[in-house]
Amino acid sequence: MAATADAAAPDLQLRPSPLLEVSDLRVTFGTRLGSVHAVQGVNLTIEPRRTLALIGESGSGKTVSAQAIMGILPRTARVSGSIKFKGDEIVGRGERELRDYRGRCVAMVFQNPERSLNPTMRVGTQIAEAVGCHLPVSKQEAHDRAVELLRMVRLPAPERRFYEYPHQLSGGMRQRVVIAIALACDPAVLIADEATTALDVTTQAQIMELLLDLQQETGSALLMISHDLGLAASYAEEVIVMYAGKIVEQAPTKELFAGVRMPYTQALLDAIPRIEMEPHVLLPVVGGRPPDLAVIPPGCSFAPRCPRVQQDCQDTCPPLQQHEPGRWWACWHPLGKEPAQ
Amino acid sequence: MSVPAANVLTTASTVPPAEAAGSAPRARGWLRSAEITVPAGILVLLLFFCFIWPMIYPVPKPVGGALQTVNLPLFSPGHIFGTDDVGNDIMSRILYGGRVSFEVAAGVQAIGLAVGGLLGMASAYRGGWIDAVLMRILDVFLAFPSLVLAIAISDSLGPSEMHVIWALSAFSIPAFARIARAAALQLRDQPFVVAARLSGTRAWRIMLKHLVPNMAPQLLTFTMLGAGLTIILEGGLDFLGYGIPQPTASWGNMIATGQQFISVYPDLVLVPTVFLLLTCVCLNMMSDGLRARWGVR
Amino acid sequence: MRRLTRSPALRVSGRRLLTAIPVLWGVTALSFLVMNALPGDAASAILGLDATKAEIRAFSVKLHLNEPIWTRYWHWFAGVVTGNLGTSLSSPQSVASVLGARLPVTLELVIYAMIITLVVSIPVSILCARWPRGVIDRLSLVLSMGSISIAAPSLALLAVIVFAVKWAIFPAIGYVGLSQSLAGNLHTMTLPSIVLAVPLIGFYIRFLRADLLEQMQAEDYIVTARAKGVTEWRILIRHALRNSFIGLLTIVGLNLATLIGVTVIVESVFSLPGVGFELLDAISNRNIPVIEGIVLVFGIAVVLANLVTDLLYGALDPRIRHVRSRS
Repeated sequence: MAATADAAAPDLQLRPSPLLEVSDLRVTFGTRLGSVHAVQGVNLTIEPRRTLALIGESGSGKTVSAQAIMGILPRTARVSGSIKFKGDEIVGRGERELRDYRGRCVAMVFQNPERSLNPTMRVGTQIAEAVGCHLPVSKQEAHDRAVELLRMVRLPAPERRFYEYPHQLSGGMRQRVVIAIALACDPAVLIADEATTALDVTTQAQIMELLLDLQQETGSALLMISHDLGLAASYAEEVIVMYAGKIVEQAPTKELFAGVRMPYTQALLDAIPRIEMEPHVLLPVVGGRPPDLAVIPPGCSFAPRCPRVQQDCQDTCPPLQQHEPGRWWACWHPLGKEPAQ
Repeated sequence: MSVPAANVLTTASTVPPAEAAGSAPRARGWLRSAEITVPAGILVLLLFFCFIWPMIYPVPKPVGGALQTVNLPLFSPGHIFGTDDVGNDIMSRILYGGRVSFEVAAGVQAIGLAVGGLLGMASAYRGGWIDAVLMRILDVFLAFPSLVLAIAISDSLGPSEMHVIWALSAFSIPAFARIARAAALQLRDQPFVVAARLSGTRAWRIMLKHLVPNMAPQLLTFTMLGAGLTIILEGGLDFLGYGIPQPTASWGNMIATGQQFISVYPDLVLVPTVFLLLTCVCLNMMSDGLRARWGVR
Repeated sequence: MRRLTRSPALRVSGRRLLTAIPVLWGVTALSFLVMNALPGDAASAILGLDATKAEIRAFSVKLHLNEPIWTRYWHWFAGVVTGNLGTSLSSPQSVASVLGARLPVTLELVIYAMIITLVVSIPVSILCARWPRGVIDRLSLVLSMGSISIAAPSLALLAVIVFAVKWAIFPAIGYVGLSQSLAGNLHTMTLPSIVLAVPLIGFYIRFLRADLLEQMQAEDYIVTARAKGVTEWRILIRHALRNSFIGLLTIVGLNLATLIGVTVIVESVFSLPGVGFELLDAISNRNIPVIEGIVLVFGIAVVLANLVTDLLYGALDPRIRHVRSRS
């Protein structure tokens, strides 16, 4: 009996009920040149207090997935599948209901702090607005809460910062303001969409530390979206790798880096420069380009670029399956799993 | 005109490769997009009727009408738009007046493009004190209400079509100079221009080969916008009596004549108004459509 | 208080005023030059065709018309600097008093038209941007295309046909001063102001709609606001419109020069005793001092409008405000 249950049972007992359950999420954009299938059947679960990293290159569908979760996709997008927040369905909700959900249940920190703040509004006003649209607070209370949030994100002299405009702040400070806006209504899930990409490396580390600290303080879940596998390795508990609109590998961070299965993940890993590398040696590059999402090939979408490609990869698409406890991958010929010869 | 302009865009450095790859469906879209083909078609028809139709069909003379046929209403036999207060056929006056409008619009745009465009581009490219002086001069012209200047010039030169063209050019030259200057300023510091300069290319060649092709979409769409504006201004000038003199037909002076009989024969104002409006709407729509297609802001 | 003592705006306006001076000088020189190229001289234009040579000569000497052009320009220019614009050639009135009588009419026309323009175009563009490709949007796009394509005389006469001849709501011509009766004044000024406003309304709707839509579809701060849970209306009005005002302001400043040109036509159609009406009269009489005075006033108006635009920029766009205060 113990033998049959040991894979799943301890997991179920330890893990609390999920905050966010995404199943078979599909997003399609209708364009003049045909439909672009940006997200093709994504499943993921976010539990309280967990840190999840969604990794992939641009065009892999990670940002579109996050926008679908936030309910801020443009009107041209067609969404199917299910996104459940604490059991309530989000897909297909009206604008009014979505508004209550955004910011309060799920909030988002955006990539470009240069552009994600309104240049003509005081930063304090922008934070207070986020407070005011969900909570029945007076102007003074909204102001106080905004100052408190500025203090929470560790901006020096928050009282003064409240009255400043975005252009008066540095990139890192601006990103702190964006985080303050996201945290305004104590969201249960915080999505950080390439939140540190536009910042320099030291600021990047500071912002990541801040996000993790705040996650500890507020008890929210963090979904970090990045193209940087190294960043995920340092901060996330679990890593999901996306390619061409699909999840191709999912594993707890430690196990993933102990032995990558999917050749695409390996290629991403190889592209990270390491300190022990010989200087002036070219980094290996993932050859070729990501596939055209308007045309879905029958086989694995990474096949044209994969060094381990074989005939079966061209014919049928490998499904994402749990091959080991907690480890999922979509590959017919995974690394480290070569058949004994 | 359309084909070289499309080439201009694909050679522009700002167009990402993905767009260039999609050029085949775009070329077909060119013919399909009604917002360009419909106004272009109407303009071609108008041009045909104004310039060629009177040569192949016995259109009545626009002047010297008979007293027996004064003030005929719309749709009279032989005079589809009726006749005016001195018995001239309005249809014929519309066609000959249209010639004036189109000729003035073309002339003013050509002068503006040639003089203003060159001046603006060269001044932006050279920079320095030449540019500073030109900017001041442009400011003077901009502070000058265009119609007032046009009235004054046209009046001092005497009433004639050529003089109207000169008068309105005083307005189009600074406008083109401004547009060209702004476009050239942006291009001047683009890497491909800097690279050309550093490799020792002569200034005139850089302007011809690098600046002009990249400025072309903006200047061409502005030409259409300007043509519409010119036709409107010319109408205003005629209306005030400082444009094309009677008895020569022009849409503007037809409206001016109609003003005297407005409560009895509103058609005298309405017919030229409809043609003026139609022409300008078509020009504006083409400018809009091309700007959208070429991504000109 | 602190803002006043630092007052970057004051410094900027000073700098702008300094650069405005050569522009104004250029305007006067240019118009003097053009006016002097006019065929036929003022003396014969004013005294009539049957005036004798001696009479014309005496008239010319009296008004210094026989002196070379630069001497006259210098006289006039020296007068302007000391506040004396000269005397009208056709009447004993000073140019300043002619302008004083005419300017309020034109000014009222322009301001009234601008108010109508903004009151109509801002709400309409918001509605267009709220429901792009909706009924309001499509309708206003068609109408605005028509309104920017119509010539001012056509529009003025159409308005007369419909509102004065057919329905007799407004008078076709005539003017009642603001000091005489407010109702009467509005009764005579509304139609001309609408005629002046219509092309601008079309122009502003096209600009504002495009600018708002571009922000709503492309700007990251709009996405941030959506992610906060702000309502679409509030995003449009508080976030997008605010930024659009910056661009709108430039257009208002630039439009003023064209608007003044159009007043000439509108005043002529509706027989309003404004500056434009006077200008036509002065041009046909070769009344150079009056023309010069009018052109100078128009030039000053445009330059001042641009100056105010620049200052308002700072008020609307904090980036500019702070860049300036730092420099």
